[in-house]
Amino acid sequence: MTDTLTKTRPATRGLIPLPSAAAHALILVGGVATAASAYLAWTWTSAFPGNLTFNGYPGGLQWLTFTAGILTVLFALARQGAPGLKWLSPTSNNAPVVLSTLGAFGTTWFTVISITADLGGLANLEPGAYVAAVASLLPLIGALALPQEGAGERPVKETLGHYIAKADRIPAAQATAPWIQRLIITAVTIIGLATFTYGIDTEYGELFIGYLFVVVFAIWAMHTAGLIDRFSALVAGNRSFTLAMGFAAAIAFPFTQTDDHYANIGVNILIFGTVALGLNIVVGLAGLLDLGYVAFLGVGAYTAALVSGSEFSTFSGVQFPFWASALTGAAASLLFGVLIGAPTLRLRGDYLAIVTLGFGEIFRIAVNNLDGDSGPDLTNGPNGIPSIPDLSFFGYNFGESHDIAGFTLGRFANYYLLMVLIMAIVVLVYTRAADSRIGRSWIAIREDETAATAMGINGFRVKLVAFALGAALAGLAGTVSAHVTYSVVPNPYQFAGSTPPNSAFLLAAVVLGGMGTVAGPLLGAALLYLLPEKLVFLQDKSLLAFGIALVLLMRFRPEGIIANRRRQLEFHETGQLDVPDTTTLTDQPAVTKTGA
Amino acid sequence: MNTLPQQLANGLLLGSMYGLIAIGYTMVYGIVQLINFAHGEIFMTGGFGALTVYLALPSGTSMWALVPLMLIGGGMVAVLIAVGAERFAYRPLRGAPRLAPLITAIGLSLALQEVVRNFYPDADRARAFPGLDNTHDIGSVTIKDADIFLILAAVVCMASLAFFVRRSRTGRAMQATAQDPDTAQLMGIDTNRIIVIAFAIGGFFAAVAAVAYGLKYGNIDYRMGFLMGLKAFTAAVLGGIGNIYGAMLGGLVLGVAETLASAYIDGIPGMQQLGGASWANVWAFCLLILVLLFRPQGLLGERVADRA
Amino acid sequence: MTTPVLEARDVTMRFGGLTAVRSVDFTVNSGEIVGLIGPNGAGKTTFFNCLTGLYVPTEGKVSYKGTVLPPKPHLVTQAGIARTFQNIRLFANMTVLENVLVGRHTRTKEGIWSALLRGPGFKKAEKASEERSMELLEFIGLAHKRDHLARNLPYGEQRKLEIARALASEPGLLLLDEPTAGMNPQETRATEELVLAIRDKGIAVLLIEHDMRFVFNLSDRVAVLVQGEKLVEGTPEVVQADERVVAAYLGTPFEGAPGDEEVAEVEAAEAVAEAAPADSTTSTRGEAQ
Repeated sequence: MTDTLTKTRPATRGLIPLPSAAAHALILVGGVATAASAYLAWTWTSAFPGNLTFNGYPGGLQWLTFTAGILTVLFALARQGAPGLKWLSPTSNNAPVVLSTLGAFGTTWFTVISITADLGGLANLEPGAYVAAVASLLPLIGALALPQEGAGERPVKETLGHYIAKADRIPAAQATAPWIQRLIITAVTIIGLATFTYGIDTEYGELFIGYLFVVVFAIWAMHTAGLIDRFSALVAGNRSFTLAMGFAAAIAFPFTQTDDHYANIGVNILIFGTVALGLNIVVGLAGLLDLGYVAFLGVGAYTAALVSGSEFSTFSGVQFPFWASALTGAAASLLFGVLIGAPTLRLRGDYLAIVTLGFGEIFRIAVNNLDGDSGPDLTNGPNGIPSIPDLSFFGYNFGESHDIAGFTLGRFANYYLLMVLIMAIVVLVYTRAADSRIGRSWIAIREDETAATAMGINGFRVKLVAFALGAALAGLAGTVSAHVTYSVVPNPYQFAGSTPPNSAFLLAAVVLGGMGTVAGPLLGAALLYLLPEKLVFLQDKSLLAFGIALVLLMRFRPEGIIANRRRQLEFHETGQLDVPDTTTLTDQPAVTKTGA
Repeated sequence: MNTLPQQLANGLLLGSMYGLIAIGYTMVYGIVQLINFAHGEIFMTGGFGALTVYLALPSGTSMWALVPLMLIGGGMVAVLIAVGAERFAYRPLRGAPRLAPLITAIGLSLALQEVVRNFYPDADRARAFPGLDNTHDIGSVTIKDADIFLILAAVVCMASLAFFVRRSRTGRAMQATAQDPDTAQLMGIDTNRIIVIAFAIGGFFAAVAAVAYGLKYGNIDYRMGFLMGLKAFTAAVLGGIGNIYGAMLGGLVLGVAETLASAYIDGIPGMQQLGGASWANVWAFCLLILVLLFRPQGLLGERVADRA
Repeated sequence: MTTPVLEARDVTMRFGGLTAVRSVDFTVNSGEIVGLIGPNGAGKTTFFNCLTGLYVPTEGKVSYKGTVLPPKPHLVTQAGIARTFQNIRLFANMTVLENVLVGRHTRTKEGIWSALLRGPGFKKAEKASEERSMELLEFIGLAHKRDHLARNLPYGEQRKLEIARALASEPGLLLLDEPTAGMNPQETRATEELVLAIRDKGIAVLLIEHDMRFVFNLSDRVAVLVQGEKLVEGTPEVVQADERVVAAYLGTPFEGAPGDEEVAEVEAAEAVAEAAPADSTTSTRGEAQ
C-alpha cells in the first residue's frame, strides 16, 4: 500500500483479468439480475421462514437480496459516472462497488446455504435459488476485475486491499442551502429509523444475519465512498438540528411498533445505552477504568425499589413520587461513588480498576446477604424486591396501554418514552460537561496527568467529579429500570454474565461503540444487546464473543466503531506531520543540541 | 474444630494459595505495569490442565505419581496460556495508552472462562478433582494431606524464586528490568525474554496453586479464577505491588484476616449477622480499602519502575 | 527596586542515603531572568522539582512572594509559579487552543454545575478564556494554528505552545526547563526574543539550560550547581570567567570541589562492601534524570 503520488499512479489491472467494459457490464447485469432473482421462488416449502416459495413476490430474506442488488446497481452506475448519481461516489473509487457486491453476495449465498443446511439438501432449492446464487456471484467477479483509475506506465495488478480502501481525499461537497442540508439530515434520519426498526423487528435469526450482511456492507460501502465523512460535515454544521432529529426518531420508534415486545427491547437498549453513556464520562473522557459500574445501576434500582411502596420493601409504608425517587436513587449512587472514589482516586490508576471490580462484587454479595438471616433485612436477600408498582404521572399510568391518535402504546412503550427523556438529560449532561472547563481538565488528566497537575488541575478532585457524576447518572437510569422490570434482584449485578446488565457488557459497549463520543456507547449498547437477543444460538456464547471482541478491538481498532477524532489519532499513525514525543535532533542542517 | 489455632492454620493455608497466585500478578505488574486480569483464569486453566492429566491416567495410580504429573500437566497449560497471552495480546500493545492492555486483559479473562465452560466436557458445574483427604491432628489443629502439600509447595516455590532472583543471572536481569527497563536494555538485557519469563513463572505458580486448590477442596470450577484472582491481586497490593516477598506476605495476611473475620466477627456486638462465609469477601475488600487508605505502598513497599 | 519573587533558603533534598541537593540558597527577584546551569547529574532537576511542589525539600524552605510553597504541584501553579517540561509534555491530542485553555484552569473557576446549567456566567467565562488564550497565541505567533492538534506541530512550535500554556496561568515566575533543547540557532534566537518579551511583561524567569550562549545572553544572574551544591553565583561575566566552573564541566578535579568528601566516603564504603556480597534488591528513588 505504498502508492505515492496520485498524479503518476500506474494504470492498474483488475485482480481478475477481464477487459474493463466486460467488468462494468457484468456488474450491472449481475446487479439487476440479483434484484430480479428476489422475485423468484427459492424453495418449495415454507419450513424455511419468510415464505420464499412465491414466484413474483419477494419474501423475507429475498427483500434483503433485492435491496443489496439495487444498491450494487446504483453504486456501479455512480462509479461509471452516470448523470445524477455522481454524488453517490464522489471519487469514483472501486471500494463502494466491491463492498456492495460483497453484501449482495454474502446475503444471497447465506440464504441459499441456510436453506440447504436447514432443510437438509440441495434438492430443497428451487431453480430461483440457483439463479440468485449465480446472479450475485457475477457482480462480485466483475467488481474484482475493475481497474483503478490512473494513467501511465506499466499496468500494475490491484491488490485485494486496494479494492476496499477508502479514497485518500474526498472532495468537499458543494455547499448547499441550509434547508437542503436539513432535508438531507431528515431523510437520513428516516431511513436510519426504518432500517433500525426493521432490524429490531426481525423475527428469526437468519433474517437478522442477512440484515446484518446488507447493513454492514452498505455502511462500509458508503464509508469508503466518503459519504459518511460528508454527512459528518453536514451534521457538524447543524448540530442541534441533528440532535433534535435523533430524538424525534427515538420518540417515533414505539409508534412504529405493533407489538409491545419490541418496545421492551427498545427500553432495554435505552437503559443500557444511557448507562453506557454515563460510563463513557468516567472511562471515555476521564480515562478512569471502572469495572464495577453496574453496581451504581444497582444502587439506584434498589433505592427506587425501597421507596416505591412495594409491599416487599423494608420501607413499605413509603411511596415516593417519581421525581423524588429518581433524585434519591441518583443521590444514593453518588454517595457510593464518592465513598469508593475518595480513597482510591488518589492512587495509581490501575488500583481503581481493582477496587471498582471489588465493589461491584461486594455490592451484589451484600445485597444478597441483607435478608434478615446473614445480615439485617434491608434488601430481602436473593429474592429481591418484587411487585414494584408502575409509575403514574398526572393520571397517566405507565402500566396500562393507552391509545393515542390511533396508535397503541403498551406498557413498555410508555417506559420507553420516559427513558427517552432520561436519555436526553444524560446526553445533555455529557455534551455540556465534555465541552467545558471541567471536560477539558478530564481530557488533560487522561492525556498526561503530570502535565495537567502542573497546569494547576487538582487531579484528585477532578477525577472524583467525573467518577461521582458517572455514578449519579447510572443511579438515575437504575431508578427507571427498577420500575420497568417490576422487581430488583441481586443476581444481574455481576461483573460478567450472560444477560445484561453487567459491567463487562457496559465496558464492551463503550469500547466497541467508541469511547468519548455520544453516539458510540448507544450504538455499542444496541449492538451488544441485539446480537445475543436475535441470534439465539449465540446467547450461550455471547460472553465468549464479548471477550474475543474486546481483545480483537484493542488490537485492531481501539477507537471503536464511531471514532472520536482524537482517539483515532491517539491510536494510529495517520500520515499527518507527526513529531515524536521527544527529540533532540531537528531536520535542519545545523548544530544540534543534546538534551540532558 | 473452631479453635483459634485451627482458624489461624486455615487462614495461613488459604493465604498460601493467595500468595502463590499473587506472585504472578506482582511480577508482571512490577515489570510492565499491567494488571493481568487474565491471571485468575490462568490459575483456573492450570487446574483444568491438571484434571485432564488425572483423567488420562489409569485409575488407581498412586498419588505420589499423580501429583507431580498433574503439576506438570497443569503447569504446561498455564504457562502456555500465560506466555501466549503476553506474546499475542499484550506485547502488541506495549506502547498503547494504559487503557488498551487493561481492556484486552479483561477480554482475555472473559474469553478463557467461556472457552473452558463451553468446550471442556461438563465444565458448567464444578468438576471433581482428586483430593488428598487424609487428616492429621497436631495439637488442636487438624490438617489434611492436601494442606501439607500446599505448605510444601508454597515454601519450595518461594525459596526457589528467591534464589533465582538473587543468585542467577536471569534473576538479576529481572530485577534490573523491573527497576529501569530502558537502561536494562542498554545493558544488553533482552527485556522481551525477561517479560516472557516473568509471565511463565507467574503462570506456573498459579498452576501449583490450582493443583493445591483442587486437592484441598476436591473440585474445580470454571469460575474459580475470578474471585481467587481478585483476592490474590488484593494480596499483591497489600504486600506491596512489584515485591515478590510482599506478594506472599500479603497473601498470608489476607488469608488469616479473612478467616478470622468470618469466624469471629459475629462475636462483636452489633455485628451478629455479619459473620460467616457469606461475608468473607466483603471483609477482604474492606481490608483492601483500608490498606489503600493508610498504607498505599503496601506492607513491604512497592517495587515498580518509575515510568513518569 | 528588586523584590524577591522566589526565595530558596538552605534547600536540601535527600533520597534515602543520597543527597541530591545540599544547602542551596537561591533567589529570583521580580523582573529578573536568572539562569541555573551545571553539568549533568548536578541536581538541577531535583532542585527544580523542589520549586514546583513535586518534591518537598527535606530541609530548608522555598517561598514565593513571601509565602512558603504548598506541597502540591497544582497549588504551586495556583500560587503563581508556572513551568515547562524538558521533554515536551503537551496534551498531544488536544488542539493548540485547547492546550492553552487548559493552562487557564487555575484562573477560572467554573465547575461542573456551571457547565451543566450554562448560565450567562458560564458563557462569559468561556468567552473570556478564549480571548485570553488567543491573545497568548498571538503573542507567541501560533494564533493561525489554533485548531491544529498539538502533536502535529513541528518541534519548535510545540516548545512555544508549552510556553504559552504555562503563561496562561498568569504566573509571576516562569520556570523554563531546557527550553532550547534540540533547537537550531534560528529557533534559539527566536526563543531568546520570546523570553525577553516575557520578562518585559513583568514575569520573572528562571532558566535551566545547557546552551551557554543562550543563558549568558539572557540572564541577569547565573547560578552554577555542581554535585548538588551551589558553586558560584553572579553575573554571566563573573561566572564565565570562573575557572572552577570550567573545570566542573570538563571534569577536571579542582581544590575544594564539592563532593570530594563524598567520593572519599564512597570509596571507603566500597572497600568494606568488598567483603560481603551485596544482594540488596531495593531501588532507591534517585533523580529521575
